[in-house]
Amino acid sequence: MKTAREIIESYKGRPLRIMEVCGTHTHEIFRLGIRKILPPDIILISGPGCPVCVTPAGYIDEALFLALEKKACICTFGDLIRVPGTEKSLAKARAEGAEIKTVYSPLDALEIAEKNPDKEIVFLAVGFETTVPGACLAVKKAAETGVKNFSILGSNKTMPRAYEALKGSADAFLFPGHVSVISGTGIYEELCKAGVSGIVCGFTADEVLTAVATIVELSQKNEPFFRNCYTRVVTSEGNKAAVRLINEVMEECDAKWRGLGVIPSSGLQLKEKYAFYDARKRFSIPEMKGEGAKGCQCGRVLKGEIKPCECPLFGKACTPLNPVGACMVSNEGACSAYYQYGEN
Amino acid sequence: MMKENVVTLAHGAGGKQTNELIDQVFKRHFSNPDLTADDAAVLTLSGKGKIAFTTDGFIVSPYEFPGGNIGKLSICGTVNDLACMGARPKYLSCAFVIEEGFSMEKLEEIASAMEKTAAEAGVKIVAGDTKVAGKGQVDKIFITTTGIGEILENAATSGFNAKEGDAVIVSGDVGRHGCTILLARDEFGIEAEDVTSDCAPLWGTVEKLFEATDKIHVIRDATRGGVGTVLYEIAGQSNVGIRLNSKDVPVADGVKGVCGMLGLEPLYLACEGRLVIFAPQESAEKIVETLRQCPYSQNAAIIGTVTKENAGKVIMTTEIGSETLLPQPGGELLPRIC
Repeated sequence: MKTAREIIESYKGRPLRIMEVCGTHTHEIFRLGIRKILPPDIILISGPGCPVCVTPAGYIDEALFLALEKKACICTFGDLIRVPGTEKSLAKARAEGAEIKTVYSPLDALEIAEKNPDKEIVFLAVGFETTVPGACLAVKKAAETGVKNFSILGSNKTMPRAYEALKGSADAFLFPGHVSVISGTGIYEELCKAGVSGIVCGFTADEVLTAVATIVELSQKNEPFFRNCYTRVVTSEGNKAAVRLINEVMEECDAKWRGLGVIPSSGLQLKEKYAFYDARKRFSIPEMKGEGAKGCQCGRVLKGEIKPCECPLFGKACTPLNPVGACMVSNEGACSAYYQYGEN
Repeated sequence: MMKENVVTLAHGAGGKQTNELIDQVFKRHFSNPDLTADDAAVLTLSGKGKIAFTTDGFIVSPYEFPGGNIGKLSICGTVNDLACMGARPKYLSCAFVIEEGFSMEKLEEIASAMEKTAAEAGVKIVAGDTKVAGKGQVDKIFITTTGIGEILENAATSGFNAKEGDAVIVSGDVGRHGCTILLARDEFGIEAEDVTSDCAPLWGTVEKLFEATDKIHVIRDATRGGVGTVLYEIAGQSNVGIRLNSKDVPVADGVKGVCGMLGLEPLYLACEGRLVIFAPQESAEKIVETLRQCPYSQNAAIIGTVTKENAGKVIMTTEIGSETLLPQPGGELLPRIC
């Protein structure tokens, strides 16, 4: 029997485009040096997997409005602080005196709200199925305990519709391990019927190599496929409690993705019952157009149309220390990974 | 509108931006032939021999953590900077900035830790300064220590001295201090009892090394920014490449687990009791053997070699035998770890 690595290394067929849609996969693939052992006809593309990367500039502008105009205390996951808005980033606003705190859980933001009843605390709710349950829990708890000075600025997204939107960009997807723990694999069976192929993939060297080898083998049949290659944590039904919680607090909405535009039914927003905790409603935030920087090609990178190093700004005007586009900000962003691991 | 340039937390993280701040502000104003790019300045006074002179500020939060406190840290930091230049630490001064309302009992504990650590390092605290700042003007307690040491006759270490073919040695498992502080802040709800700071005074270790061999090109203590940052510093200063074997880098299981969960690279987490040593291959085994007999370096290991090619870069052989660039440190890592 051949090992996964032998299957990959001996591949001689039509070019296979495999897109990973999870920032941790992007990072691990670089860290392990996996691209360097692939034959030229297996091409790994980094898709829109990092929540920071798909957050549009207008969203940062909304957060800046809250911090600077409404003097709210912004609580956010760390990476978002450096994402450029139209004029500046939250990091810049913080250095100028805006109150912006890094938290690791939405519940930490709720705790800050409880301890500072005279201040408005806004949590920046970004991310996919992995971070949504935490935001839902914080809102639910706030409602239960009557915390009035807490709200969320929502930009949560879900993956299934994004795969359909990206269908033409790749022959198969490496489905994200963490998201699948929550959502289960039912959605992938559906996607498979709709012609989207992919493998649920873990994060160790063996798991990534196994997933790629499985794609190589199943691609020979020329029909859509799905396999779960991360069975040690991903089940078909997912995390039922988390899914129930999401459905109780949030509902589907259309969502704007950086680079991909508006994808119908690809976002989540608070249900009417919890509208009190929606920062957009509480602070009557004006509509922000949010303009990305001139020349920035993040959108094309996210769709896999170009490699990060093919963007004219890459490594010149745009570096991890001075990011112009969102994909250069997070450690798990495609541009940042290409830059940091010297792929140019 | 003109954008005002301001100091950000990233300027204090020990990476690229810290260097830019130093180069563009301090070096520009303070430049002179004795100003150091190493851990301590090497100076000649009118007497015999050379001395090493250095200073370091400590603002760690929380000020107590498993394996030490800000007092112990403030002695280790300066003692280790002197030791890296092959200097026997002789005298220290310490300056305290204390917040109004700080517990006298805690201050006593901090002073006691300083006494004990200084005694172990064989250094005398001979001068000090105390300032008390109003509530909220400083976070609990900040300490600055300054130290002076006599450089051993057979020592001539510098970050500019790494040579092609040198072995790269680390004196123990990496990333423990940074990981400990991260957990001590209690922001993740992760408990890892076996993760404690590696904070330790290393003069005794360095003294043993120079008793064993003269052939040591570089010693640097890996503090803020971790071993990865040190490797890039040396690669830059000596204009060489470094090839690292990821399998050989010692990492404690607890640290590995926490890093896996949080997506951190142990090579970029701070250490406070780890030396990175560059030495010719022929003395490498002896150095590792000597280190393993010392109390704070039993897990010492050779982790890589110096190459002529890839100057300024650190290339890593990965666990699947492929190779990749070790990403350069930068940005805001973990503020206030030391």
